Order: sequence, then structure tokens, then C-alpha cells
Amino acid sequence: MQLGLLEGIKSGDTVLRTSGITKRFPGVVANDRIDFEIRAGEIHAILGENGAGKTTLMNILFGLLQPDEGQIYIGGHEVRLRSPLDAIDLGIGMVHQHRKLVSAHSAIENIILGHPRARGILDLKRAEEEVEKLCDKYGFRVDLGARVWQLTEGQKQAVEILKTLYRGAKVLILDEPTSALTPPETESLLASIQAMATDELGIVPFITHKLPIVLAISHRVTVLRRGRVVACLDTECATEKSLAREMVGRDVIFRIKRTEVEEGKPILEARNLSALSDKGLMALSGASFTVREGEILGVAGISGNGQHELAEVLAGLRKARGGTVLFDGQDITDSSILERWQMGIGYIPADRVGVGTIADFSLVENMAMSYQFDDDFCHRGILDYNRVRQLTQEVIAEYDISTPGPLIKAKNLSGGNLQKLILARVLTRKPRLVIACLPTQGLDVGATEFVRNKLMELKAAKTGILLISEDLDEVLSLSDRVAPIYEGAFMGILPAGQARREKVGAMMAGIRVEEQEQL
Amino acid sequence: MRLGKVELKLEKRQSLAGWQAAAISILAIVFALALFSLIFIIARINPLLAYREIFSYAFANPYGLPLALNRFIFLLLCTCAFIVPYRAGLWNIGMTGQLYLGALGAFAVLFAFGGKDSQTAILPAGLVIPCMLAAAAAGGALLGAVAGLLKGKLGTNEIVVTMMLNFVASWFVAHMIKEGGLFMNPGGRGESFELPPSVYAPLMKDVPFTGLVALGIAALLYFLFAKTRFGYQIKAHGLSPAAARYAGISAVGIPVLVFALGGAVAGLAGYHYFAAVPGVYKIARNYGYFGDLAFYGVICGLISLGNPLAAIPVALLFGGLSIGGRYVQGKLHIGFGVDYALLGVLMISLVAFQFFYRYRFSCAKVGEKTTCGSLSPEV
Repeated sequence: MQLGLLEGIKSGDTVLRTSGITKRFPGVVANDRIDFEIRAGEIHAILGENGAGKTTLMNILFGLLQPDEGQIYIGGHEVRLRSPLDAIDLGIGMVHQHRKLVSAHSAIENIILGHPRARGILDLKRAEEEVEKLCDKYGFRVDLGARVWQLTEGQKQAVEILKTLYRGAKVLILDEPTSALTPPETESLLASIQAMATDELGIVPFITHKLPIVLAISHRVTVLRRGRVVACLDTECATEKSLAREMVGRDVIFRIKRTEVEEGKPILEARNLSALSDKGLMALSGASFTVREGEILGVAGISGNGQHELAEVLAGLRKARGGTVLFDGQDITDSSILERWQMGIGYIPADRVGVGTIADFSLVENMAMSYQFDDDFCHRGILDYNRVRQLTQEVIAEYDISTPGPLIKAKNLSGGNLQKLILARVLTRKPRLVIACLPTQGLDVGATEFVRNKLMELKAAKTGILLISEDLDEVLSLSDRVAPIYEGAFMGILPAGQARREKVGAMMAGIRVEEQEQL
Repeated sequence: MRLGKVELKLEKRQSLAGWQAAAISILAIVFALALFSLIFIIARINPLLAYREIFSYAFANPYGLPLALNRFIFLLLCTCAFIVPYRAGLWNIGMTGQLYLGALGAFAVLFAFGGKDSQTAILPAGLVIPCMLAAAAAGGALLGAVAGLLKGKLGTNEIVVTMMLNFVASWFVAHMIKEGGLFMNPGGRGESFELPPSVYAPLMKDVPFTGLVALGIAALLYFLFAKTRFGYQIKAHGLSPAAARYAGISAVGIPVLVFALGGAVAGLAGYHYFAAVPGVYKIARNYGYFGDLAFYGVICGLISLGNPLAAIPVALLFGGLSIGGRYVQGKLHIGFGVDYALLGVLMISLVAFQFFYRYRFSCAKVGEKTTCGSLSPEV
């Protein structure tokens, strides 16, 4: 243990500093002479679009990657971080975006996993007492005896944070800390982060897009663009607009220009639709709604309230347990996904990497996912790769997908480009109905703007759109009608004009319109 | 790592061309042979002499070459039988059972044409042989489809199912050829009745026509994966079943079809060994030996990374070495099984060298940041 380097650090002292960090990968400079510093008691957000070099920097700070040039100083001493073990020993803790916990073990067992004291005979009781003190101090509410699989995303994250704190971390690196959390969970996390900062911990959240959070909690912000530090400023001097400009390199419009389209005939009608979740529990119970041509129906809800199952039932990936689905007046409740594609239903899945694309396929082959069943692209069982390739090339230009070429594997694309590819693949089929699931989740500002504008164009072309999103602002700014979903049931469907933020927020929490009026 | 003034670095490869993979495999073979020569030296045998004997018997000797080619044909068919499900992300460990059922299918056709009753019967070869091939393929396909259906419908582990079906098929063969079995040899030697000479598989320079069949299948499979819709669907399912389902590709149909297709090819391997190899022409008493040999299809399939064309040289090498190894063992009075030992070392070496499919060494002079060149096995 070399924690000595950070002993006796007072608020305001520099705990970690990098100087001229450079990291090259074939073809790109991921980090270009990055100078960065974090003080004790400070929350220093790092902001940047996908591909700006955040992940690389984070991995360097945590010892997962070694810089080609540059130095890292901890408590004023130059250090070399050869592995995460070095980083942990020096007091750097990291909480990844994707949870790294053993789900069959209890929270406390996960917390002491890998702790130097957890060798041989475990003293769970003592550990539990100590961790509880940490919980009280920073306001984490976690049942330490509960198995990890029983915990919510927010609690799992608290477990990860506690784990690093228990190992004596003085610098806490958080990767996209709020990306998987519900609004109340986010609030309590932010409160805990602030409590930790007053305790002389240096906290570095890496955030791509949630600018309001950066403004709310951080003291300083460093903005990265294309591997370089383009700004480092006190948060007080920053606004959402100025930060976005630094990130993207141009002004970004936050308000989407809505197109008003005359309402057409109903294209999708669901009556009393219900479905089970993967675990066999009732996830969707009795949803009835209509989507018209040229209309965006926005389903707003916190993750896990049945919207995922709803999308899959409509796409044909999940069996409906009850109810009927009509498409253009025709009963499609039992139609396969293939038949639905051919009818003109396009599905943009929430899971871009696992469902929407195939990582080891080239962009051309990924494009073929929606064309392999199309007889125009397939003659006597032979797939017309040339034609798909041509289409892919057109799409790369039209959708501004940044890639060296159409034969690059999808795993080399960033999240935003991947989403553009999926969008292009679905939209080039000229669907009459699009089910868009979390279309902008995890995307940077530029890509989000692009996707939202595309949805608007689609609407103008008289396509019916079912937009499922966990981002309330997105639903409110895009939808013609808003359907808040709670525990598998719609809490009502409001026209955009009546969908005030507070009202919809309350409905997402399970309070129906009538009940609200009584209050 | 530093070597004098040069720093050696391990880098992740961005891509791997076909010729690079081939060159790495050749290096792996050379390495394995070098390693195995230590074993020859310990056994007080001149390794150069031993290798000369092995290779010349397998590839240049008028007696050895046909044996090696027959084994190559068998291995290539088994490899293709493994590759088809493998490209769909599924593991066929059941070539053994599938080839047994294929052999039984072929002999059932003979039986139906009265081939059991008289060794001297003149059967219409132009009709019987195609029927035997079709029945062999159908038998293998049937057994394969069972595993595929269980996988697709119920999600049963295909490795366990195919493996268990091997035992079922093996005992079924025993039931058919042993005392009292329908296909038993009239002499009752624990083997099946023999083929009438009139339906021996046609030979081309001592090699049965099944060689062309095997090469044709490898080429067709290559075409299947490279160009066709079905090949695309297999590959998509193999890389991501969830994404394939999203694209409208049947999550039940693909496992059934790939296992049926793989099983059919394995069934042809059964036809090849028990009805086409000169000197056999029956389901021999030691049929289990050929069943075990079928497992080399898994090895060859993995080494050729699921590429049916790459499987051709790999199967040729393994077929030749297993024949040459057995020969040199007798010729030089070696006290251990050279064939399997050599194949084992080769296998480990080839698998270990696949590390270089993903990584490569690069060297840089200390103090300079640019890569100045590369060292083998960066090729």
C-alpha cells in the first residue's frame, strides 16, 4: 500500500495531476497532450462527445492503458500505473458504467471482494459495521445483506462506490454515473457525491451529455474534443449552451423544430394488450392506444415499467399474452417479426450493440439485416452484396456516419454512428410505422440532435411513430400525444398541449390524472 | 520487453488477412515438428530420418498415398460437418453418430436391393450408388436434426445432445451388425455383410470418387457462406442470435437446418469409409476407431477457423501425418503411438499460435516512438 502519498491532504490540495498525456492508437490520437488536475474536495467533471477521448483518459488514470507520453502525479509524486491494482493501491477508485459485481453474492461480500483484509477468514461483521458508517456518512441506503441481483441499479452503483471507498480511495472516477438511474436515484446519488466532496475526496465524473447534471454538481469542468482539452473552467462561469458549444465545436439547438402534420388515419391500434416479462411476471397489462399516420405517440416511463415488453410485442419479438394489435386495420397479433418487417413496421431496438447490430459484421452486412429477406436484394438465394454495399455507401454519406469505409466492422463505430446506421437501415425501407426505443440514450449532443431531426422528418413523411423514451424532456419536445406508463399500464394519454412536465412526471410515478385533480 | 537496443511490444491486430493466417499456421506446423523432434531425439531416433519416412510414405509412396488420401477425404467431410453448425455458433460433436447412421443408411439401401443375400449379385451401380449416397446423407441429417430441433425449440445444449446421440448411434450399429442383427455378416464375425463388388465405389487412380464429393462440398460451403442468403443467415445467427432474430431470421429453423446439413455431410463420411475405401467395403468390427477419428473434424474445423477451403490443407496434413506416423512407428520400431502423439503436439501448437491471429509483435528502437519494423510471426 502506498496510500502514504495522499496522507494529510487538505481540501484544495492537488491530489492527482496529469501532464501532457498522449495516447495514440493506429490512425488516431485518442489523447493529445492532456493536462488535467483534481483537488481534494472538488468535483471535476470531464465532458466530451463519444470518441472525444474520455474513455482513454479514464483508462489511463485507472492503469488499464499506459500513456505513450506524459506523466501522472499523485500528491505531487510521479507515479506509473501499470495496472488497476497500482491505481487502487495509490488511492484511485473507479466505478464503471457497466456494473462489475457478482450478482449471486450479497452487497457486503461484493464490497470486501479483493480487499487486502479479505484473505483467509472473513470478518464480515466488522466489515459490515465499517461500511455502514460510510453509508451513514454519505447517505447511501443499501441493505448490505441483500443479494446484488435483488438491488436496483442505483443501489448497485452505491455498492460499487462503497467498494472503492472501503478500499481507501481518495480519488473517485465515475463513468457516466447517472446513465442507468431513475430521476429520484439520480438526485440521491448527486447528494451523496456532494457529501463525499466535502470530505476531501476528489471526484471525477465523466459525462457525455447530461449537461444540467454537470452544472448542478461540479466545481470545475474540463471539456475534451477530439482528444484535446478545449476548455477548463469553473462551473460558475459556464452555461449549458457554452458547454455544448465547446463539446461539439458549434452552436447546438436544444429546441427541436416541430413540424405540424395533418393527422392521418390510424396505422397502429392496440387493444387491451398484455405481455409477460422474461421472468414470467406480468409486465404489460391492458395497454390500449392508437398511433396515427404522421403522429408521434410518446411513451414516457422510468426503465422497467413495461415499455421494453411493449416494444417487443409490437415488433413481434415477444408473444402477446392477451389483446390484439391491428396494423392498417389488419390483425397482426400473431404475425412473425419477418412478416411485420415486410408489412412496413420498422423497429429501432434499445439495445444497439446486442440486438440492433452485429459487432463482427461489416457495415454492409449489418445493412443487409433489413434487406436479406427482400427479394429485390436476393436472387435465387444469392444475396446481392454489391447492391447492399452501394446502399450502405449512400447511407454513410446521407447520414454522415463517420467510418473509414463500408467494410469496417460495426464494433469499430461509436454509439452515435451505430445508431445512425440502425436508423438508416430502418428508414431506407420506407416504413409506415416506426417503433423507436430509447433512440437517443447514451448519444452525444450532435448525434441526439440528428436522430431527433430524423424522427421529425419521418413524421412529416406521414409515418406513424411510437417513441419510447426514459428522457421526459425528449418525449415532451417530440410527441404529439404523451402516454406515461407505470407498472405496465398507461396512466392516461395526454395531447401535447396538456402534457405539462409536472403532470407527466407524477403520472410516471403512478398517479392518474383524476387523482391529481383531486389533490 | 527489451532485447538490446530494440524494444519488443505486443500489439493487438486490427485485421487479419487470409494469407497472414495461412503463414501463421505454417509457422505453427514448423514449430510443432521442431518440438516433436525432441521426442524423437530422446527416443534415440534421427528426427530428420523419421520425418522423411513419415512424409514420403504419406505423400509419395504408392501404398501410403492412397491410405493418406482416404483418410484425408474422411477428415475433410467430418470437418465440413463440424463447420456448418459452427458458423451458426453451434458445436457439432456428433459427427461420430451421424456417420454411423449414414453408414447404416447406405447399407439399408444395399439390403433393400438384395445385396446381403449374394456376394456375386450384379446390382445396377448407376442406381444403387446414388441411392446409397442419398440414404447416407439422410441418415446423418436425421440424427443431426434431432440435436438442432432440441436446441432451437427448447434451448437444450447441443454439445451434450450430439455427444449422447453418439452412444445411441454406436449401440444401434452394434445391434444391426452383431449376432442376429439385420445387417450381420453371414459368417457372423461381429461385422456387417460385405458390399457386392458390383457396387464398389468407382475409383480414380486408386482413390474413390468420394474425394471429388468432399472437395465439391468444401467449395459449395465456401460459396454458401460467401454469397447466399442462407449463408448470411447462418453467420448472423452465429454471431448474435438476438440480432438475427431481430432481422427476421428464424431462431428454430437455423439450428435445425445447420445440424441437418452438417449431419448429412457426416453421413457421407460414413459412406466413404465403410462403402468406398478399397479393402473395407463393410461396417468393420472396429468401427469405433473411425468414429473416434471423426473428432479430428472438430480440431481441423477450429484450426481452419470455420473456413471450408482452409479445411482442405489442414485435413490433408492431419490425414497424411496420421498414416505416416503409424507407418514410421512400425518401420523404426518406436515404442509409442507416433501418429496420435504427433497429431496431439500439432494440434496444441496450431491452437497456441492462434494467439497471433489477434496479436502481433512489433519492435521499435529504444528512444524512437515509431514502429520501425516487425518481427515474426508478424507476417
